[in-house]
Amino acid sequence: MEAHDRAEPLLRLRGVSKRFGHTQALTGVDLEVHPGEVVAVLGENGAGKSTLMKVLAGVHQPDAGELTFAGAPYAPHSPADANERGIVMVHQEPTFLPHLTVLQNLFAGRELTGRLGGIRWRAMHGEAVELFARVGLDEALLDRRMGTLSLGEQQLILIARAFHHDAKLLILDEPTSILTATETERLFALVERWLQHGAVLYITHRSRELEQVADRAIVLRDGRRVGALVVEGDIEDDVVRLMSGRDLEVLASVATRSSTVAEEDVALRIRGLAVPGVLDNVSLELRRGEVLGLYGLVGAGRTEIALSLLGELPPSGGDVELMGEPYVPSTMAHAVACGLAYVPEDRKAMGIFPYLSVRENLSAAELGRRSGPLSIIDRAAERRLAQRYIEELGVKTASMDDRITTLSGGSQQKVILARWLATDPKVLILDEPTRGIDVTTKAEIHRLIAGLAEEGLAVLLISSELPELLALSDRVVVLREGRVELELDGDVIEEETVLRAALGSDLVGGTRTASSPASSEPAAEEGTPDEHR
Amino acid sequence: MVNARLERIRRLAIWVLLAAQLVAFSFLLPNFLTAGNLGNVIVNSAGLAIVAAAMTFVIILGCIDVSVGSMLGVLAWLTGWLTTTQDMPVVAVLGIVVATGALMGSLNGSIVAKGRMTAIIATLGMLFVWRSVLYGLWGGRDLFAPPLVPWLGGMRIGVVPVVGLIALAVFAVLASVAKRRRFGRDIYAVGNDRQAARLNGIPVDRRIIGAFALLGALVGLAAVMQMARVGVVQAFTGRDFELGVIAAVLIGGTSITGGRGSLSGTLGGVLFVAVLQNGIVLSGVPPLWNGVALGAFVLIAVGSDVLLERRSGQEVPA
Repeated sequence: MEAHDRAEPLLRLRGVSKRFGHTQALTGVDLEVHPGEVVAVLGENGAGKSTLMKVLAGVHQPDAGELTFAGAPYAPHSPADANERGIVMVHQEPTFLPHLTVLQNLFAGRELTGRLGGIRWRAMHGEAVELFARVGLDEALLDRRMGTLSLGEQQLILIARAFHHDAKLLILDEPTSILTATETERLFALVERWLQHGAVLYITHRSRELEQVADRAIVLRDGRRVGALVVEGDIEDDVVRLMSGRDLEVLASVATRSSTVAEEDVALRIRGLAVPGVLDNVSLELRRGEVLGLYGLVGAGRTEIALSLLGELPPSGGDVELMGEPYVPSTMAHAVACGLAYVPEDRKAMGIFPYLSVRENLSAAELGRRSGPLSIIDRAAERRLAQRYIEELGVKTASMDDRITTLSGGSQQKVILARWLATDPKVLILDEPTRGIDVTTKAEIHRLIAGLAEEGLAVLLISSELPELLALSDRVVVLREGRVELELDGDVIEEETVLRAALGSDLVGGTRTASSPASSEPAAEEGTPDEHR
Repeated sequence: MVNARLERIRRLAIWVLLAAQLVAFSFLLPNFLTAGNLGNVIVNSAGLAIVAAAMTFVIILGCIDVSVGSMLGVLAWLTGWLTTTQDMPVVAVLGIVVATGALMGSLNGSIVAKGRMTAIIATLGMLFVWRSVLYGLWGGRDLFAPPLVPWLGGMRIGVVPVVGLIALAVFAVLASVAKRRRFGRDIYAVGNDRQAARLNGIPVDRRIIGAFALLGALVGLAAVMQMARVGVVQAFTGRDFELGVIAAVLIGGTSITGGRGSLSGTLGGVLFVAVLQNGIVLSGVPPLWNGVALGAFVLIAVGSDVLLERRSGQEVPA
């Protein structure tokens, strides 16, 4: 950093506070961002990261505090106002106009018009081509409808839009949580370009990413700023300590568990499972008391295996055996009755019932097993069930009758887990069980998974987070483009081996052969169905 | 905590409003607070109440049925036709009409569930279809039926109208289903999130069809009650009936986006709407103000719901 940058920060916050009803979301937060730097904002769920960013993006107005941006007082009253001033936020789930083209999205609300108000498409197209060249995006995308692009491409285009609007500060809210490895690389490259004319505020849960992109980081806890650090060397321990307020051995404690797996005890056997265009001859075995890790890029078919077992995605071929008995996927109710349980990857869209209480959310699947729509719900038993799991899993809630949305993301996930544990499953399928969950709860969920396997449950674990997957799994199956690419067994599974298999010839440190026409071939994560969401 | 309180406020609001309305009308309108008038209010709104009870389930599901008015017309004609030309006992008529209503309702439900059509579009289509069917059946001549049994009409035990007791019983049964039976729980779950409900093994399509069929059956009951009371079917019988029903459910605090609501709230909403209309008639204000008042209260109910949700500082799924 040059000296004059230090003297004049692009953005300065002093004592910013914000309250929602009874919840003090932010208390006296200070922050400075200088031109050309990436500042990461870290914290557990509910620490106030998103609120802070929304204050900056004009979504919320602070109750107290002083904000200056580019040398002038800053008090945006709406996101549009914030954009006008030069601050653009790209939300976790990209927001855009899905039925319009990329070009229309780029210029939405700022179309170039002629004297009579006619839209000058050609001029806009020209400008867009120039912009895409500058940010390194393919101009062929301009005519595609926004909704048909992958999540990663959508995000890149929203960032390009910010470029186009000449923004000075870009706010990225956990941008990589929905991206594949390749898309993440492209995102980082774009951020790199961005720094030539602006700064970035970056919310993340992933410490590795932090080391890759951020210069500095501040840590929030319970709405207060509890620390700041310069990103240098291995900072993971510091980050965890600051975020949780205590020292943690997140994965180590789990990794050392004894793995005594009975070879004969096969809980789930899949042979030659096929779903046209999605899965091709997938075979795997899952034993009682074992955690089988399923790895692959988005679209490799991990979730699809789960969905086809549940009957949501009818297979065209293959046999399944569940606890030694032949099993034919038909309906979800049948799957539950047979002892399958599935914790979905998208908690918000497929897991929780937002207007129902913690109790009702927790008992939802267990109730389903009782026959007859007019059967009476034993409310006393339901309360006991909820109480038991709230205590066992440490769900933080004031009352089991509160709406589930009053809980933190981590506690919500515990409720969903409890919902399925309550059905007493034989095979538990966990799809990204710790995505977007704070470090502390994550460690608790890791211990829980390990404990369940120890008690004899068969667990199929789908996770994009490789360290987590490797630490928890007894064996790992790697999928690529709907096929089993590799099966790994043993105490030491190398991260690199798994990644290589998942990516195939696609990239990985220079192993790509010159003859493969990589540029014309769509990357593994694109095009393949991830459309069940 | 914030939420539990919010929930309580919302649940109480309709009863406070109703009480305020009763007090105000008692003071302002000399003929209001008499057993005769209040009895009339109940007799006139019993059909609305019964249909609104079942409509609550459909709206909690995240659906809506705007065809109930046309269905009421067709089913009232069926009632009249059965009693005049077929000379059937009342119980048989009741059975046939309720069963036919259930069939018509499950047709709506099937279009929504299996045809993957938005409920408002599907039932708007059926609104026109049933209305046209009624025109055809009516054929330019009003159908007069001899009075059915008095207990389905204006009969009272002491000062209490029998139909009021029937409506109350329907509410009691449906409230128990909503709270204590799997069917009710499933309805809430589907209204909260259809995808999540399916992944929990809830037979979503069957629940949707079931709720619409229940609604149709109760429209049948309301149609028989209407014939017992009025004894005539015209081309426009039941027209705009759906608007009062939906208004009562919404004023009772059930969310139009689904997932939230209660039978007790709807009962409050029905009483509020019925008393409001009665008050307007008694006060001699031109009846066109009926619609204005009803519309205003629907806007207030839905608007305050949106505001309260927003103030709770939570993300409300769209």
